[in-house]
Amino acid sequence: MKNKLLLPLIAAAAPLFFAGCATDAHYVQTGDKEQVVSLGQINIQDYANAANAAVKDLLASGALDKVANPPALLELSRIVNNTSQQVDTDLLTKKISIALLQSGKAQTKTVDAKATGYQQEAEFMNDQKTTRLPDFTLSGKIIETVDRAGSTRRTTYSFQLSLNDPKAGVQVWEGEKEIGKQGTRSSVGF
Amino acid sequence: MKSAKFLLLILAGSALALTGCTTVNTVENAQKVGQRNMVTDQRVITDGSLSRKVSIVGVNSSQTPGGLLKVQVELLNRTRSRQAFLYRFEWFDLNGMQVENILSANIPDQIEGQESKFINGLAPTPSCHDFRVKFIEAD
Repeated sequence: MKNKLLLPLIAAAAPLFFAGCATDAHYVQTGDKEQVVSLGQINIQDYANAANAAVKDLLASGALDKVANPPALLELSRIVNNTSQQVDTDLLTKKISIALLQSGKAQTKTVDAKATGYQQEAEFMNDQKTTRLPDFTLSGKIIETVDRAGSTRRTTYSFQLSLNDPKAGVQVWEGEKEIGKQGTRSSVGF
Repeated sequence: MKSAKFLLLILAGSALALTGCTTVNTVENAQKVGQRNMVTDQRVITDGSLSRKVSIVGVNSSQTPGGLLKVQVELLNRTRSRQAFLYRFEWFDLNGMQVENILSANIPDQIEGQESKFINGLAPTPSCHDFRVKFIEAD
């Protein structure tokens, strides 16, 4: 008799319990408190944090201010992906180039084929070379390191960036941001 | 026999309770060479819980050679356990208008028990003259 009473109670309480766990789709801000933290994956907020640290460090170094004709002209070079996942490195480099352009300290060399074509055409028509060589190139590497202890897993992503002076053949600035995540499974929230 | 079991339970319990507590000892030069340009700050506290745990000791600022405003905030964890939080810098121009920046996102950070720590921000453009820092307690 007791069991008969208990069973409907449990059945009635179960949906209420699970309703608290479910979340309806809603808009979120990158890097908010509800962010998904994945153990084996670079999250969108990780790119933002790495780009933020790199830009802050690069602007504070004053390396971009040491050019003859400011703002500095920057060409984005290769970002090597040494992680186990497929990465679109534009998630990192685009943020950096936008922030540098907004700062007024640097401009990036266009990669648009049409713009380059028009420029070459103008050079040909005017019989004059106007192409400006970049003052700097930006290259880098993303490295993944995984450590395990029992069921606990720690993944560290190292975002390494270098600002190179192609005329002198030297690196004028280098920055590294490490983003580490530890746990047994991915979660929601910081 | 009963008291031995009880003692073991207390020991195990206190070991678990103390695991979360790690405090920081520090040492620094007593006679400072550098002078901090302290900023008179204005605070709005809506999360008393976070403010009691992690308090703002002071704010100082400087300028980079490139003319960008650099702000440093000193925080102190008043508890004996690690505290996680998010912070975000906002920047304003001479007219008090907020300067939007692609990188103005919440930055996750943490501070150990009794630790004093600096966080810093760099203005995204030379036109930024004022700032605001927001702190949110992490769950």
